[in-house]
Amino acid sequence: MEAVIFLLPIVLGLGVVFAWLFILAVRDGQFDDLDDPPARMLQDDWGDEPRPANREK
Amino acid sequence: MAAIPLSVPTRPNRDSRADPAGTRDGAEACLGPAASACPHCGTPVEGPVDSYCCHGCETAAAIIRGAGLERYYTERESYPPRPEPVSGGWAQVPTETGPDGLAGVRLAIDGLRCASCVWVTEKVLERTPGVESAVVSYATGRATLRWDPARTDLPALARRIAALGYRPRPLGEAGAPDRGLLLRAGVATMATLAIMGLYEGLYAGWWYGDMDPRFAALFRWLSLLLATPVALWCAEPFFAGAWNGLRHRVLHMDLPIAAGIALLYLHGAVTTVMGQDGYLDSLAMLVALLLAGRVLEARGRRHATEAATALAGSVPRVARRVVAATDGENERVESVPVSELRVGDRIDAGAGDELAADGVVVQGTGQVRMALVTGEASPILVGPGDRVVAGALLVDGALTISVEAVGDQTVVHRMASELVASQDRALAPSSTDRIAPWFTAATLALALLTCLGWWLARDLGTAISRTVAVLVVACPCALALAQPLAAAAGLGAAARRGLLLRSADALLALGRATVAGLDKTGTVTGGAFVVTEADDAALRIAAGLERYSTHPIARAITAEAALRGIPLPQALGVVETAGTGISGVVNGVRWELRSGGANTVELSRAGDHDGQVARIHLGDRIRPDTAAAVRDLERFGLSTALVTGDHEQVGLRIAHEAGIGSGAGRVRPEEKSAWIRARQAQGDRVLFAGDGLNDGPALAAADVGIAMSSGAASSLLVADGIVSTGSLRPIVAGVRSARAAERAIRRSQIQSIAYNVVSVAAAAAGLVNPLVAAILMPLSSISVVWNAAGVERVVRREETWKP
Repeated sequence: MEAVIFLLPIVLGLGVVFAWLFILAVRDGQFDDLDDPPARMLQDDWGDEPRPANREK
Repeated sequence: MAAIPLSVPTRPNRDSRADPAGTRDGAEACLGPAASACPHCGTPVEGPVDSYCCHGCETAAAIIRGAGLERYYTERESYPPRPEPVSGGWAQVPTETGPDGLAGVRLAIDGLRCASCVWVTEKVLERTPGVESAVVSYATGRATLRWDPARTDLPALARRIAALGYRPRPLGEAGAPDRGLLLRAGVATMATLAIMGLYEGLYAGWWYGDMDPRFAALFRWLSLLLATPVALWCAEPFFAGAWNGLRHRVLHMDLPIAAGIALLYLHGAVTTVMGQDGYLDSLAMLVALLLAGRVLEARGRRHATEAATALAGSVPRVARRVVAATDGENERVESVPVSELRVGDRIDAGAGDELAADGVVVQGTGQVRMALVTGEASPILVGPGDRVVAGALLVDGALTISVEAVGDQTVVHRMASELVASQDRALAPSSTDRIAPWFTAATLALALLTCLGWWLARDLGTAISRTVAVLVVACPCALALAQPLAAAAGLGAAARRGLLLRSADALLALGRATVAGLDKTGTVTGGAFVVTEADDAALRIAAGLERYSTHPIARAITAEAALRGIPLPQALGVVETAGTGISGVVNGVRWELRSGGANTVELSRAGDHDGQVARIHLGDRIRPDTAAAVRDLERFGLSTALVTGDHEQVGLRIAHEAGIGSGAGRVRPEEKSAWIRARQAQGDRVLFAGDGLNDGPALAAADVGIAMSSGAASSLLVADGIVSTGSLRPIVAGVRSARAAERAIRRSQIQSIAYNVVSVAAAAAGLVNPLVAAILMPLSSISVVWNAAGVERVVRREETWKP
């Protein structure tokens, strides 16, 4: 039973890592639009407009 | 044909059909080097000077000019970045002023989470001094505001909406999705899973009875640690909603939820300190499910916005106005925001442009597609004196238009606003409007009663847990949303198949129709021309002249010639004059083919207008898919009838060809509505579809009137729906969508009423623990969303299903 003392922090730490990854993904806009990107990749002439996510300078 | 002397071709191929002399004048006056820079942001652009790189820059420049800030362009020291679609100051958002002096605007409002939020926003705005009306649509997340500009202004109203906790933004800009909601839902879900694991351990320890108290304490404290961000951060939207409601003295539906969460968390904290099991797993799960439901709802709402955006976005916001230059002789063209246009202004349009205003063509010719207004997909040829409407697409040619109506006076805007207003009304949560305060008060009273009763009968812990259960299961959001969501889904399903319906009422009426009255011309028969009468000799020459043309009449003539096996003669020197006709030399004689009035073209020797003339009559035939559509309507249990002003014989023949049940010929337009009323008197609910030209009264008299292609704008306004493609199929799809929506509404209502009645009673009686309540309540909301989302799926399945 004492194993729990070690396991709990490890498991919770893993959970925190995944939560942090999830937060990063959401902040990056990965979930903003779930409908357009799958269709957009089929278009040849994409690039007429600025990319929706060109925030990096 | 007239030249278009001074339209500035902003695209190199714009003027291929314009008079070369006129274009050269324009070129000398305005054209610069082929490569130039965008006047707003400096991006290199191919084309003449003053070509903007993108719509954003053009709009930005027009706004800057419109505000009288041209100095910016001379005084600036560096180019600005390209405009990003983010909202600017609210003072710059264009509003419209109606004839009654009231200002109006449509806004998108982000962050609307349930029917009660819509209700609160609407009410608070309505109670703001100076606001005449405020309608907020849940399905589209949009608000229509009208106010007295002397007493308040848009920035104040926007601040007021923001003060409620919702985010207003001007329409026409990409809305940032609500990332916060998804973040909260995700974090709450992860915390819930962890807490559930820990609590499972605690429950197991309690079951076997020999758990080490130190581990139990560790599990409880860890659970409390995980539950704290859930209660304080993830559940923040509920607290904010409840607090905003309280502050504006409205009993918001978030209030019982927030109270439940607060109670659960405090109870959990106290029990943890005291070394007992709390309800922290219920708390986390409740928050996670509620948030997940709201994420789903937000996504559904974004989908429902699509159709409305298509209509709203069809009129450009910038126009090219022709103004006299300072020397008084030449003219020049400037870009202005549409709101700057006045009646009497002249605007230029080139191939590919959408027209910015209603008006009359003063110069030029072109093919214009007015599908948005008339439903007629094929472009029609316009020339000087012809009327065009805003939002129409100029397929080719170049036009100068004298403006007759701008902004909210344009045909398309009136149509759109009527469409949108009735849609908003249908989607507005009217039942919530009435019962929300009573419901909240009753819930709180019931909760108090439950708390007191169980406290006296048992102990405080039981009382609190059961009170929490009552508070949590009581939310009637699902019930209030059953009709609006399913109706919105049905309207969307119909719209995607070419039938634009004005309101949920129209949709439901369409689903309940028992008789379909169909007009002949333009409805049962196609819009495309076919030759109905011509002699072979004339047809041969005409076909020779028209063989290279793609005009609908030309195609009808060559098709008929091919059908009759007439070889096409070689025509030399063919000159096609847009708008008037075509001439060319066949067998050494110059012939001229021109329009001879309705459905007739006249063939004669060139210049010999008084001599011998051969006439070719054109008409329409039954649409190829009419018979199948009629069969489908009959399979839905509708009886069909052909109502036409044509001869009895023709009516019967067409009815027979299309498989329509009964034909009523020689019905004058005013008798069509009488026919409808006669059927209604027999207890039938009548669907009437007409081409709209003289069917106005009939469309209005019918339970649901649907205007077909080529309809006049006036009768399109009378109709409940518009078929946007030339076919009866969209009507079939509309009936199918309506029936699917109706079934979804009934299912949702039954489910949510059952949920609420059973679960509130059970919670008050103590049969529902907070965990069960936390599953039940969001489940009813999600089931409503699920039913609504299923409308499209059901329609699609029925479409592919073959008997």
